Amino acid sequence: MPSVPSPSEARSSGPAVPGRDGTILEAHNLIKTFRLGGRDVTVLHGVSLKVKRGEFVALMGPSGSGKSTLLQLLGGLDRPTSGEVILDGEVVSRLSEGEATRLRRDKTGFVFQFFNLIPLLDVYENVALPFTIAGVDPRRGEAAARIVDVLEMVDLVGCERNRPDQLSAGEQQRVALARALVCRPAILLADEPTGNLDYANSGQILDKLWRSCDERGQTIVLVTHDARAAAHADRVLVIGDGAIRDEIELGRRKEIDPRPLITRLAQLGL
Amino acid sequence: MRRFSSLAWRSLLARRLRSVLTIAGVGLGVAVLFASLTASATMDAAVDRAAADEMGHADLRVQTLEERGLSPEAVAAVKGVAGVAVAAPALERKTYLAADPNQTASSALPAPVTVLGIDPSVESQVHDMPLSAGRRLDDTDSLSAVVTQTLAAEQHLRIGDSITVNGSVKSGPQAFSVVGIVVGDGALPDAAGRLLFVPLASAATLFDATGVTRVDLTARPGVSADELSRQIEAAIKTEPYLLQKTADTADSLRAQTADYRGTLLLVVAVVLFAGAFLIFNTLSMTVTERAREVGLLRAAGTSRSQVMSFVLLQALVLGAVGSGVGVVAGVGLAALTLAWVSATGPVALSAPDIAPGSVALALLVGVVVTLAASLEPAWRAGRIPPIEALRRGPKGAVAGEARLRWLGLVFGVLALAAVVVWPRAAESSSASTSGGVAGTSGVGGPLMVYALLLFAVLLVPRVLGPLLRLTGIPFRVFRNEERLARSALARDSSRTALTAGAMVIGLAMVVALGAAALNVRQIGAHWLAETIPGTEVLTSIRPVSPTGAVRDQIAAIPGVKSVSPVGLFGVGLGNVRQEAAAIVGRDFASDGRLVFVTNGGDPASAFAALDAGGTVIVPESLATASNIRLGDTLDFTSGQTSTRLRVVGIVAHSIPGDSEEAILVGWSDAVGPFGATGADFFAVRYAAGQEAAARNLVDATALQYALQPENLDRVTGTVGDALDRVFKLLDALALIAVLIAGLGMVNTLSMSVFERAREIGVLRATGMSSRQVWAMVVIEAGSLGVAGALIGTLVGLFVGGLLVALSSGGFDVGFSPPWDSIALAAFFGVVISVTAAVYPAGIASRQSIVQALQHE
Repeated sequence: MPSVPSPSEARSSGPAVPGRDGTILEAHNLIKTFRLGGRDVTVLHGVSLKVKRGEFVALMGPSGSGKSTLLQLLGGLDRPTSGEVILDGEVVSRLSEGEATRLRRDKTGFVFQFFNLIPLLDVYENVALPFTIAGVDPRRGEAAARIVDVLEMVDLVGCERNRPDQLSAGEQQRVALARALVCRPAILLADEPTGNLDYANSGQILDKLWRSCDERGQTIVLVTHDARAAAHADRVLVIGDGAIRDEIELGRRKEIDPRPLITRLAQLGL
Repeated sequence: MRRFSSLAWRSLLARRLRSVLTIAGVGLGVAVLFASLTASATMDAAVDRAAADEMGHADLRVQTLEERGLSPEAVAAVKGVAGVAVAAPALERKTYLAADPNQTASSALPAPVTVLGIDPSVESQVHDMPLSAGRRLDDTDSLSAVVTQTLAAEQHLRIGDSITVNGSVKSGPQAFSVVGIVVGDGALPDAAGRLLFVPLASAATLFDATGVTRVDLTARPGVSADELSRQIEAAIKTEPYLLQKTADTADSLRAQTADYRGTLLLVVAVVLFAGAFLIFNTLSMTVTERAREVGLLRAAGTSRSQVMSFVLLQALVLGAVGSGVGVVAGVGLAALTLAWVSATGPVALSAPDIAPGSVALALLVGVVVTLAASLEPAWRAGRIPPIEALRRGPKGAVAGEARLRWLGLVFGVLALAAVVVWPRAAESSSASTSGGVAGTSGVGGPLMVYALLLFAVLLVPRVLGPLLRLTGIPFRVFRNEERLARSALARDSSRTALTAGAMVIGLAMVVALGAAALNVRQIGAHWLAETIPGTEVLTSIRPVSPTGAVRDQIAAIPGVKSVSPVGLFGVGLGNVRQEAAAIVGRDFASDGRLVFVTNGGDPASAFAALDAGGTVIVPESLATASNIRLGDTLDFTSGQTSTRLRVVGIVAHSIPGDSEEAILVGWSDAVGPFGATGADFFAVRYAAGQEAAARNLVDATALQYALQPENLDRVTGTVGDALDRVFKLLDALALIAVLIAGLGMVNTLSMSVFERAREIGVLRATGMSSRQVWAMVVIEAGSLGVAGALIGTLVGLFVGGLLVALSSGGFDVGFSPPWDSIALAAFFGVVISVTAAVYPAGIASRQSIVQALQHE
């Protein structure tokens, strides 16, 4: 059973408290090759990157550029053909199956384009899933407090007993976001979290992501092809043909304005 | 059409595991059906063969009803009948081989031998006697014998050897010289192969007999068996006898297996029903899974009938291949079935008799049931609107209602098939039984049982939800996995209920058969306890004087309270053979045996009247069937006169005879007008607390007089063991239904894992280990298995209660839960379910998270 850090402990980490050099996630020369129909297809060609603790990084690129594959490698969902991923001091690519599971449970949170909620569990139970998987009673103590906290953060207080099919798409994605954040992971990995949502709901989700980063120091890596979404990030890495083509430093801002990013992307031909 | 057949074929190949499992399910169902048909056909053939062997070329058999046999006058009268071409008399007696002086004393008597005295001059014209060595008997033989191969092997006899058999007290042992060895067991099923033929005159001398047991007749050309019967009936009016044709012998033997075959057919119907579940679920899953594809086809202009034919074509392939596999597997299963039941049946069974008709019927039923099960999914596929299909699959609720409709349809088809193929002999038989549920001999009882099973299956969707909460309790140690597993089961409640339904009926049959078996045992024990005045019986293969030294010597042993002689013999009542038992009324009165029905007379005066003579006590079954009332006078044919006995009592149950309950007469009437020559067994009652001390001496004394001591519990146990053997076979076949349900569970769980791929991917991404995923799927199956076992047990107890009510024969033995069968059902329910989950659980736990997340 993993230890549950107290909320105060987690909050005391504050926004963007760096380690020795402030890096929480590193990738070195990642290469990923798939075998498709008898031939090898290399999706990533030696990608290297660093993400600082509390930083909000967006990975942008066209379809098939390898950004989702990169995210999967960073989160330990898949293994690179070569290269290394180091998350919070652990070399993810060298972990055993059991260690990788523990890492995912304790240090990462995922949000996907499809909300992937368990249809027969209610909102509370879906959010509590990481605790129950870890064998922690989600109705008591620290875990219960965290669930309430995260539900407040995503504005779902009062919907605890609702089942996914009783929620709107935006609400479902907020449940998925709450589920990813409830364990206060070292890093949140979001793969096109607004890809299935309308404009208004997308805005709400992006706002929640940004606030978790800004107010709670949550490190986030967001994969998107939407410039408006990427504009919430501190830094945008542009992926093309399996490599990082450009890096756009936007910095932390109170007002999110996508126009500078769109302009820059246009200069890059995206 | 060719395009569609290619598409259907590819669809089956694309889902190889599911196709193979479905073929296996159909195959198992058809195998059980084919084995049942083949076993029945083999039994029929064996019965016909046994009857033909026993009757030989005879058109008619005149069989005595009395111990003293048909008198020489009666035999002469038979020979003088105009229509008789050949009359072959025979005297049949059981005896023991003379004791080997080197043999040590034993607690049990050796198996008896049957001596058949024949007239060598005519025997060969009526009965074939294929020899493996030596020659037949001829007119010149006197102390010569022909023995069976079986007896020769057991006694190490060769041509020219001597065999000595015990005769009557007057004649003593007699040695015969073996002149021939007849092939196999000889043509007398009762002898179990221990048979020797001797000249009739020698047999008469040996057993001090004047009469013969039977006369086998061949008719003159142009005289039918019926005509010959009429001539015999006109010629002999002075002695009781029974006329038997070959067909009568076969019917009599067949009736003894009718209940067993009826029960077997019920089990077959249940197994096929389980198979139909599997087919339906498989095709339903395919339709659901391919809704988009079907929608595309529809959008491209494919008609509804074409879509339906696409599904039906797949069903046809599955049904045809499965049925073919089933027939092949059925041959082996039939051989096992026959080997298993041959020890308990009335006739020896040979290798499976594979009839082309059985093959055709099994194939036809397999394909028809498959098509019946696929009609609804095919219809549903045809109804998929192109737009709906492109958006999402068919609605669960619609599918759920449709499944219930389908159940009714398949039930109807199978019930109709059962009515058509129901063993005809079973309907005409009222006798019980070589091991089956007596109440299943008619078609009504099984249909009621079947309807009850259907009702239970229809009830499953209503109760499964709450029940799964309950059955999940043992798995709560895996809190999260259990919760998720329960959620997965509730995802498609109709499919889950259907999967559990197949399990339920299989397990219900196991429990119901267990209840019926237990009940049959209890009835046997109650019957004997109610009608036998003792706790031990000393049986003899030949009648022993009811009042002679044997009885007196045993009665004098300290600790023996009473020794009551009982003699069994046949009497003629209205030209029908009726089994009778001679008893000592005062023994029954003092021992409190027999239950008199309301208005059935006063026990004390009835027993006194029985001892005084001129009276009879009849069992209620006979009284009801023949409308006999207290005080009526019955006319019995006995010897050369008619004997009239007054009914002084009607009892709920009487002493069991070979095939019916015996009427009870006093010894004075038995040895007088009926010519009974002695007791067939003595019932011994011990004084309270003294059985243990007295028993050894009683048994030793009995053995000295060639009486076989048997404890009543042991008698019940021996009968019960034979029944258990048959019930175990039925249980095994019912478990095949559970196995088929297990295959269905593999399909359902695989489909469930397939549908939840992305969900499982998220769980894995959230930190669930592959072991936890594995446990989740196994718990899913375990919960379903426990729920199936619970519902199956409850339904089985109801069905068992129904079977017991149908077959209790008026015994109020109560209903005892068959704990062994319940434990068996629970064990197999859970084990098969969990085993079924291993493969899908493996897939779920091993699948790549990335691929799972990309799954659509």
